[in-house]
Amino acid sequence: MPKTDVNELIAGPVAPGVPKKNPIVVADGVTRSFGGFTAVNVEHVEIPANAITALIGPNGAGKTTFFNLLTGFDKPNEGRWTFLGQQQYGVPAHKVARRGMVRTFQLTKALNLLSVIDNMLLGAPQRAGERFFASLVPSIWRQQEESLTEKADELLKKFKLDAKREDFAGSLSGGQRKLLEMARALMSDPKMVMLDEPMAGVNPALTQSLLGHILDLKKEGMTVLFVEHDMHVVREIADWVIVMAEGRIVAEGSPDTVMDDPAVIEAYLGAHHDTDLGDVRGQQEIAKDMESDLIKHEIEEEIEEEAADGR
Amino acid sequence: MDFNFIPLAFGEAISPTTAAYALATIGLVVHFGFTGLVNFGQAGFMAIGGYAFVVTSLQFHWPLPFAILATIVCSVIFAFLLGLPTLRLRADYLSIVTIAAAEIVRLSVKTPELTGLTGGATGLNGGAEDFQALNPFPNGQYLGPLHMTASDLWAAICGWALVLLACLLVWALMRSPWGRIVKGIREDEDAVRALGKNVFSYKMQALVLGGVLGGLAGALFILPRSLQPDNYGTQLTFFLYTIMLLGGATTIFGPLLGAAIFWVVLSLSDGLLSLAVTNHILPITSTQQGPIRFIIVGLALMLLVIFRPQGILGKKAEVFFRA
Amino acid sequence: MGILPVDPRRRRAVGIGLIGMAFAALIAVLPIAAPLASAEPIDPNTADESISIWVRQLQTKEPVPNLSVEVKGDDFDETFTTDAEGRIQVGLPGPGTYTVTVDDSTAPDGVGTLPDAQNPREVSVQATNKGVPANFLFTTADTGSGGATSPSDSASPSSGASDSGSSSGPRGITGGLVASKIVTGIIYGLLLALASIGVSLIYGTTGLNNFAHGELVTFGALMGYLFSSILGLPGVVGILAAVILGGVYGFAQDVVLWKPLRKRGVGLVPLMIVSIGLALATRYIYSFIFGADRLTLPNDPSPFLKIGSVSLRFTDVMGAVVALVVLLLVAFVMLRTRLGKAARAVADNRSLAAASGIDVDFVIRCIWIGGAALAGLSGVLIAYYQSLRWDTGSQILLLIFAAVTLGGLGSAFGALVGSLVISVFMNLSTLFIPDNLKYVAALAVMIVILLVRPQGILGRRERIG
Repeated sequence: MPKTDVNELIAGPVAPGVPKKNPIVVADGVTRSFGGFTAVNVEHVEIPANAITALIGPNGAGKTTFFNLLTGFDKPNEGRWTFLGQQQYGVPAHKVARRGMVRTFQLTKALNLLSVIDNMLLGAPQRAGERFFASLVPSIWRQQEESLTEKADELLKKFKLDAKREDFAGSLSGGQRKLLEMARALMSDPKMVMLDEPMAGVNPALTQSLLGHILDLKKEGMTVLFVEHDMHVVREIADWVIVMAEGRIVAEGSPDTVMDDPAVIEAYLGAHHDTDLGDVRGQQEIAKDMESDLIKHEIEEEIEEEAADGR
Repeated sequence: MDFNFIPLAFGEAISPTTAAYALATIGLVVHFGFTGLVNFGQAGFMAIGGYAFVVTSLQFHWPLPFAILATIVCSVIFAFLLGLPTLRLRADYLSIVTIAAAEIVRLSVKTPELTGLTGGATGLNGGAEDFQALNPFPNGQYLGPLHMTASDLWAAICGWALVLLACLLVWALMRSPWGRIVKGIREDEDAVRALGKNVFSYKMQALVLGGVLGGLAGALFILPRSLQPDNYGTQLTFFLYTIMLLGGATTIFGPLLGAAIFWVVLSLSDGLLSLAVTNHILPITSTQQGPIRFIIVGLALMLLVIFRPQGILGKKAEVFFRA
Repeated sequence: MGILPVDPRRRRAVGIGLIGMAFAALIAVLPIAAPLASAEPIDPNTADESISIWVRQLQTKEPVPNLSVEVKGDDFDETFTTDAEGRIQVGLPGPGTYTVTVDDSTAPDGVGTLPDAQNPREVSVQATNKGVPANFLFTTADTGSGGATSPSDSASPSSGASDSGSSSGPRGITGGLVASKIVTGIIYGLLLALASIGVSLIYGTTGLNNFAHGELVTFGALMGYLFSSILGLPGVVGILAAVILGGVYGFAQDVVLWKPLRKRGVGLVPLMIVSIGLALATRYIYSFIFGADRLTLPNDPSPFLKIGSVSLRFTDVMGAVVALVVLLLVAFVMLRTRLGKAARAVADNRSLAAASGIDVDFVIRCIWIGGAALAGLSGVLIAYYQSLRWDTGSQILLLIFAAVTLGGLGSAFGALVGSLVISVFMNLSTLFIPDNLKYVAALAVMIVILLVRPQGILGRRERIG
């Protein structure tokens, strides 16, 4: 799946809050504070439809909180946002999911004591058998159950979990649970998939297959927004990158350019205010976190200068 | 020495009281075992059911079907009162609110100001009259060495029929997509919410279902005895927890087995103790005998949770509360 | 808040802080000693054992004088007449079970009848048990209100201080009445706070809602009874024993039960159920050993201090003072010592505290010891204030939960405020609702608080997430 060209996504000059040609989510003035601390303060942001957007930023930037707000798991102090043109402020989480915006969690939430296939079936929007009285009459829901089971089995095969079909989800490895969580989310044929750190805790062998699955989502017409710390992953699959720091959107851009944006550098440095910048190891830590060649280069230069001064 | 207590103790396995405990425990299994709701106020549901049944039939002279209907309706209302505010809160808050609500019910019905309606602290007698009027069995003793009276036999038959019906209902629900959702909620309600299910609504449905079973159990409980407010103290709830964990918290038939074993063991130990005390084998007084059954239950509850959380019928791998 | 690594050397300092806390608690209780040792109940026979009979009318709370009452024991059979206050003190020849029968045919018209369940009454008197209560309540209702020792009675906080303001017939709310309710409410609230702090801190540091905390309270009361009433030692010895042995009990519980369960990674819900099993078992072990009757500690019933219409005994005043001093000490320990700061750090964020070098298990152990010692002190003081029974602690457990919830789970200061608020509120509620429903009122307040502000009055919202 080729990357979508940046110019096909944006409808204006590259800047934080740039309008998109075909936005699926449009958010305005979303703030959320805990006590006196403002975790999220997003003035304006648009997520492009049918593209893979990465949400990055240093720890504590408010990425997960923003995720929670968009999906109805948390309530903002203020703010408005639309999904597919529909107002979505104050819509409870389960209704958000029914509208086609499904999410996964940073700490995988496999339902441990349900079998893998039951996990999958739970992901389906199955109306009939989920009502109290209707559930007592199998003839009402049996047929729907069977067709959903077929669909679930197809997905399990695709995600290579078919061998584990009858096992408890709790017995899967960390990476397999991530796969299951994603497969389960797909049972509802979502329009937008929100992945919170999909690669965290996944062993390298599974990383490639997970990346492939994410690219497939786009191929099938879905929109993906994901939070990720691993910049290699971001470079490899993201069409667009949004950078958050201290609750704000500080930069947007293509994955190849955004990490060299001075605002981004400042944000990452700011997040490391407790790191000793005079210490070489501290600077390398920042460089590693950012994975920006520019900053790596600058730090190396600085180290050389320091070494020269010391001499 | 008189060993008559032995067959009588085993007879406890099928007594109407045991059926009532089994039914209330099935309700608790729906709450705790399948949905993960930590309800420490099942005694409150039993009290609500028992009082609704007796007060409507005895004080208001409602016919039996309407008294049963009142039992169900009152249990539903109580479940809503409990659930609406608390089901959005964390699990341990639900536990404290439910135990407090059960105590509120018990202390309220026994207040002297309500004596005209509820009988105050002494309770009410004769709530089972309408029910026993339908008894097809002539007076006499039944089931050989068990010496069951006709009214106990009638109550036991209807009680166990109700228990089996409840088992069937819960079994049918738990194998359906509805059951899959509540079990999912038990595992992680946020995950289920993220999949588009209205978690609050399902928790409420489960609370109502288990509560109605508890309320009916309350009505069943007073058939062989009078209605006494202090029967519905917190220890009743914890007896039910012991029964549930004994049989298996996520099993359909666990409550039946658990209740039967619970009452047989308690009756046997009571009988053995009485025998030992009256024959001066044990150096304790007869008043010291009473607390022993509670000590047994308390220890059993601790040991079960620590060493066999899956109970008798459950599977080790299915223990949802890690122990 | 500072992050406090505890290395082995510092451990000693923490230990000293803890021991200091316990000793300070002990020193604070010393003043109560001397008068208690010589205190004898007002008893014409100055006997070692006595029964205190009190006959009243339930609805009006008026005493019933000039009633003939028969007290019968193994070698004892005498008839007495109630005085103007409806009371009789009966000196006894020795311990045993006595049958008390009120001759209700001598009762004046209009007071109603005594329920059969109350009359005659068997009263079990243990050695050196003085003033064992035998209360009778006439009622005009057809069905009686049950025995005077019903559980809701024992939950009532005001039975210690006699509250003459509330005994007038039709209830008019006067300033004096309100003041007296507030005074008794504050005294009881202080005693309740001693017990609540342990619950709150144990919850804060381990996440456990300890349903067996009431039994720690009862344990203190029973230790006081064992040392003061059975062994006849001075009151201060009983109080010290309650505190020290309470701490030992808490230590033993953590060593034998709670720490191993924490190590196994047992979840919070099963832990809660374990605590329920423990509560049930220990409560009835108490009943097995000490019997099912209401017990009293030797106490001087003469008024010591009068505030408005409330007359307080010496022990009521000293109990409140001791509780206040100990609570101030706890506040000092929590705010100023290394241990207190470490405890708050653990309560705030357990894994962060552990990561920054705090010995979490050691802190939790200290919390168990300190919390249990405070519960023991609370128990023995409540026993002086009212009376005690095998289930004294479990009767107030939900009240403790209400107080802790109100103040904000996990906060020691919140537990104190919550206890005072709930106790004063409960006492004041009797101005508007029947006495026996005040416990209901307290629980209802707890539920309302959970709805409106689940983090409690003082708690932070973030704790809830």
